[in-house]
Amino acid sequence: MKYRITHSTFYHYSQPVGLCQNEARLQPRDFWHQQCTSSRFDIKPTPVDFRERLDFFGNRVAYFAIQQPHTQLVVTAISDVTITPRPNRLDSFSQMPWEQARSLLLEPLPIGQSQNQQAQGQQQNQEQPLDWLEARQYLMDSPMISISPELTDYALASFQPNRALVEVVHDLMGRIYKDFTYDPTFTTIATPLSEVLSFRRGVCQDFAHLAIACLRAYGIAARYISGYVETLPEPGKQRLVGADASHAWFSVYIPGTGWLDFDPTNNTIPLDQHITLAWGRDYADVTPLKGIAFGGGQHTLSVSVDVLGLG
Amino acid sequence: MPNPNSPSNDIGAQYYATQLGIYDEMYATEKKALPYWERFMAALEAMGGEQLELRRREAQRLMRENGVTYNVYGDSQNLTRPWRLDPIPLLISSEEWAVIEAGLKQRAELLDLILKDIYGKQTLLKKGLLPAELIFGHEGFLHPCVGALQNQRRHLTLYSANLARGPNGRMWVLDDRTQAPSGSGYALENRTVMTRVLPDIFRQTHVHRLSVFFQALRKGLADIAPHNKEDPRIVVLTPGPLNETYFEHAYLAAHLGFTLVQGGDLTVRDGHVWLKSLAGLQAVDVILRRVDDSFCDPLEMRNSSKLGVAGLLEVVRRGHVAIANPLGSSILENPGLLAFLPRLSRYFLNQELKLPSIATWWCGQRRERDFVLKNLDNLVIKPTNRSPGNHAVFGGALSNQEKDRLRSQIAAKPHLFVGQEQVSFSTLPAFIDHRIEARNAVLRNFVVASGNDYVVMPGGLTRVARQKDNFIVSNQAGGISKDTWVLAAEPDKPVSVWPQTRRIPLLDAPFEPLTSRAADNLFWVGRHLERIEAAARLLRTLLLKLRETLEFKDFVDDECLKILLRTLTQVTGTYPGFIKGDAQLLKTPEAELMSLTKDGHRKGSLAANIQDFVQAAFSIRDLWSHDTWRSIDNIQRRWHQRVVNNDITIEQLQKHLDDLITGLVAFTGLTTESMTREAAWLMLDSGRRLERALALIALLRSTLALRHEDALQNQVLEAVLVATDSLTIYQRRYRSNIQLPMVLALLLMDETHPRSVAYQLQQLSIHIADLPRCKGKNTLSEEERLILMAYTDLRLCKVMELTQTDENSGIYPELEQLLASTTTLLWRLAEVIAEAYFSHSQTSQLMVLNAAEDEL
Repeated sequence: MKYRITHSTFYHYSQPVGLCQNEARLQPRDFWHQQCTSSRFDIKPTPVDFRERLDFFGNRVAYFAIQQPHTQLVVTAISDVTITPRPNRLDSFSQMPWEQARSLLLEPLPIGQSQNQQAQGQQQNQEQPLDWLEARQYLMDSPMISISPELTDYALASFQPNRALVEVVHDLMGRIYKDFTYDPTFTTIATPLSEVLSFRRGVCQDFAHLAIACLRAYGIAARYISGYVETLPEPGKQRLVGADASHAWFSVYIPGTGWLDFDPTNNTIPLDQHITLAWGRDYADVTPLKGIAFGGGQHTLSVSVDVLGLG
Repeated sequence: MPNPNSPSNDIGAQYYATQLGIYDEMYATEKKALPYWERFMAALEAMGGEQLELRRREAQRLMRENGVTYNVYGDSQNLTRPWRLDPIPLLISSEEWAVIEAGLKQRAELLDLILKDIYGKQTLLKKGLLPAELIFGHEGFLHPCVGALQNQRRHLTLYSANLARGPNGRMWVLDDRTQAPSGSGYALENRTVMTRVLPDIFRQTHVHRLSVFFQALRKGLADIAPHNKEDPRIVVLTPGPLNETYFEHAYLAAHLGFTLVQGGDLTVRDGHVWLKSLAGLQAVDVILRRVDDSFCDPLEMRNSSKLGVAGLLEVVRRGHVAIANPLGSSILENPGLLAFLPRLSRYFLNQELKLPSIATWWCGQRRERDFVLKNLDNLVIKPTNRSPGNHAVFGGALSNQEKDRLRSQIAAKPHLFVGQEQVSFSTLPAFIDHRIEARNAVLRNFVVASGNDYVVMPGGLTRVARQKDNFIVSNQAGGISKDTWVLAAEPDKPVSVWPQTRRIPLLDAPFEPLTSRAADNLFWVGRHLERIEAAARLLRTLLLKLRETLEFKDFVDDECLKILLRTLTQVTGTYPGFIKGDAQLLKTPEAELMSLTKDGHRKGSLAANIQDFVQAAFSIRDLWSHDTWRSIDNIQRRWHQRVVNNDITIEQLQKHLDDLITGLVAFTGLTTESMTREAAWLMLDSGRRLERALALIALLRSTLALRHEDALQNQVLEAVLVATDSLTIYQRRYRSNIQLPMVLALLLMDETHPRSVAYQLQQLSIHIADLPRCKGKNTLSEEERLILMAYTDLRLCKVMELTQTDENSGIYPELEQLLASTTTLLWRLAEVIAEAYFSHSQTSQLMVLNAAEDEL
C-alpha cells in the first residue's frame, strides 16, 4: 500500500512570539516493512535554522527555530510511504510461553555475569545481541508509565501460566478494548494511568500506555508507537480531507522473532493500514511536535491530518 | 586578660574521648597523637579556650559579613543560614595526601572514560560490562544526550568525591559527584577566614595553598571552549538566589571573573548561545553549569523547567558551546556504578582502584539482590536516584513493617536500589560548646581537568555532624564545616588565579556585559532603597510631630499630624491606612505605624521593602564589593534583630530609624565611591532617581498641593522640609519664614539640590541618554521622549503660577496637575525601560498538543 500523509499544525497567538524553538517527529521512519519514499516540511514563517537528525531510538527529528516576530505558525509535513503487508495470523508467530520470554529478556547470556566476579578476558569481548539490549530498555518505567500494583492486578487475568506470549497480548488487547470507553473529553496528556484505569476511559494514547504498563509489569518489553491509521469513509459517503488524526498503538518484543504491533483502540493487529511515525518508551519520547515560544500571550492550536491512500 | 597557662583555660583536649573501635584522625591507631596533630593542638592549648572561642566567633562574624550562606529548602522566612566554620581544621600529612590525590585522579580518569562510553559507543553495555538497567533505568541517563559529546580531551571537567576513613584507617569513597559538584567556593572561603583567625598557627604549619586549583579551573574551562580559546566568554549558570548553594555560584563567578547568569539571561539563536546583555547579545563559549542537567533545556528535556535555555542541547550537538560538566553526566552519580568500578578500572586502565569505594551491592542482579534482602539489618539501603524525600535508610533502624515495605519495593523495581556497608567514619577534634570533642567527619575533595591532567585541590571541604555519634553529615541537616590543611614540606608560594599572559595587556578592556536580569535587579535595588529612605524619613518626621501633639495638645499640631499620617499612607502605598478617614485610627495611630515598620508580609512596609531590597541585592551578589555587601547585610540584620524581632515601643523607634538612615547612606556612599560609571551604575542610579522623584512627588501632592490655613501651612511646610532633609539649606538660603513658593522653588525646581524633583529628572535624562539604545542615535527613543517631556514640563513652570489658587477648591490646581502628569510620565518610563532592557523577564511557554484534541 502507498499513502500520502499531510499533517498540519496551526498555532495562533494573541501577542507576537519573538522566538520559538521546536522539535518535530513528523517524518515516518523506515523499517523492514515500511519505506518513506519522500518527506518534506512546509513551515510558515520560514525558519532561519532547520536541522534534521536521528534520535536515540532511531526516529527522524527535525529541529527548527523561528527568530522573527510572528503571531501564527503553520507546520506541515507531507510524506509518501509504502507499506509491505505483514503477516496477521497469530499462529504464524512464535508460540513461546510468556514466562520463557521473560526469562530470556532477563538473562539471555549463557555466561554468568556478576558484579563482584572476576571478569575473564574472553567474555568481555563478546558482544550481546543488539536487539536484546535494545529491548531491555523497554522493560522499565519511563516518564509517563510507572508500574503499580493496580496495573499488575488488572493484567493478571491475561497472564495465565504457560500461555503463549502472543496469546497473552492478544487477550490483553481484547480486554482493554472491551473494558474501556473511548472518550476524548476525559483525558489530557497529563492524565495519569491510574486515573485511566479507575475510570476506564481514555484515548488511543492512554490505551497504548496502559497495555505497555501491563506488559512491563510482567517483565515483557513493550514500546509505544506514534503514527496514523487509514480511515475509510462510510459506504456512500465522500472521503473528508483533513478529518484524520494522529494515532498511537504499541509493540511487543518476542525473543527470537522480534517486535509485533497491536492496536488496542481498534482491537486489531496492524496490517497495512497503520503508518508508523516513530517509537519510544512512551508518548514523551515521540511527541510529534513540541516547541518553546517566548512571548505570545494566549495560544490556540489546531491540527489537520490527511491520510490519502494511493493504492 | 585570660592567662593561657591557667588551669581554668582547659579546653578539654586531654579528655578528648575517642570511641572504641573507631579511627581518630589525631590518634590514628596509637595511644599518642600523631606528631603534626600534637604540634597543632599544643598551639591551641597555648592559646586557651576563651581565646579559641573568640576566634571561633570572629570566624563566624567574617563568614556572615562576607555573606557566606547556605540556603535551606523549605525555610522561606529565614532564607539563608550562615555558614558554620569550626576553627580546628582537618590535618593531612603530605605522604597520605599523595595517596588520596593519586586515587582521585585515577577515579576521575575512569569516570571520564565511562561517561564517554555511555554517551558514545556504549561498548560497556554491548559487552555486558554494565547491565542495561543500571544505565537505562537511572534518571541521570538522558537519552537526547547520546551522541552529543564533543571532541574534547576530557569530558568530565569537574569531579568531586566524598571520602571518609574506615576503622582500619583506610580512606573510602562514599560517593562520586559529577552533576555539578559544589563546595569548592566554600572551601576557599573557609581558608580565607582561617588565615585571618589563626594567622600565627597557619603560618607555622606549612599548608598547601588552594589557588592552584582555581587556576587550573580557569584553564580547564578555557580549554574546552570550542571557539575563542584565547579569551572565551565563560558564564556560571545558576538556578538563582533560592538555590541552596547560590552564595557559591556568585562567589566563584566573582572570584574567577565569569558572568553569573540564570537561564533567562541566555538565548539560543542561529545555533549559538547568547548572553542577553544591556548592550545586546554576546556570544557565550563555555557554561559552568550549576543547574541540574535535565533542567537545562526545556525543549529536549524537562519541558516544565524554567531554569534552562531552550535549544541548548542542539547548540551542544553542533559544537558551538561547551558545558562543564556535560549534560548527562549525572548518570555517574548512580551509586550502583560503585559495584562495577573495580572491573571497569581493570578494563579501561588495567589498574586496580587506588581508592576503594564503600562496599555496594546493586540490586538489579539476582545474587546481589538476594544478599541485600537477607542482610537488610546490617546495610544502608539507598535509592539509586537522588531526589527529595527519597533518602538512604539504615536497614537496622526500620520497624518490621517498614522492612517489609522496603523489601517489596526492592522486589518490584530492584534496579532502583543498592545496599551499602555501614561504615563508622573516623572522628576528628571539633570545638563545640567551648570544648574539644570528637565528631565523625566526611571530606569532600575537588578535581578539575586542566591541560593534560586532572588537578586535585590540595585541601577540601571537611564537614562534621553537629551531634555526637551522628554519621549523617550534611548541610541541610545543619552540619559544621572545617578547613582542610594538607601539610607541605615547605611553604607554598602564593599563586594568583589570574593567568600570566604573554600578550600585551589590554589597556582598554572591554566592558563586562551586564545581563538584563542583573540590570533589572540593580534598577530595583535603587528603587527599593529610595522607598525605604522616603518612608523612614517621613516616619521620623511624623514621630516628632506625634510627640509634640502629646506634649502641647495643640489643635494645629493635631491637624498637621493627621496630614502627615495620610501622607505616609500615600507615600508608602499602604492603602487604605490613614486615608479612609477613620477618626479613631488617626487619634491612636501607633498600631498602624508599628505594622508599617515591622510587618514583613505587608507590601509597602519598611520591613517588606528592606526584604525586597536585600533580595534584589542578593540576586546579584557577585556584583557587590565586599564592603558594599557588608553594608547591605547590616541594614537587613539590624532592622530584623532590633525592630522586627524585638518588642519595641514607638518612642524607641526613632533611634532605630536614625540608624537605618545611616545604614542607607553608608550603602549609597559605598556604591557612589566604588562602582565604575558603567551600565551597572546607570541602572542602580536610574532606579534611585526615578523612585526618589516618585516618592517626593507623592509627598508634595498630599501635603503642599493642598491648601491649608496659615498656621497649619507653616507646620506642614516645615515638616516637608524636615522629611526631605532640606530644612537647613532652606534656612540658610532664604533666612525667612517658610513660604510655599520658596519651598517649591527648592524642592521642585532647584537643579542643584539633590533632593529636588528637578535634580532627579536631570540625572535621569543624563542616564537615559547613556543607555545603549539611545547612545549615538539621531532619533529619540521612547524613554528619551518621556524623560524629555517630564523634564521640560517642569522647567517651563513658573513657581508663582503654580501657587495661584482657585477660590472654589481646596487645592492648588496647577501644582496638582503638574505633579500628577509627571507621575504618569515616570510610571510609563519605568515600563518602557523594563520592556526595552529587562528582556529576561519575558516568559516562555510550552506548546504541545493536548492528547484529546489530537489523537484518535
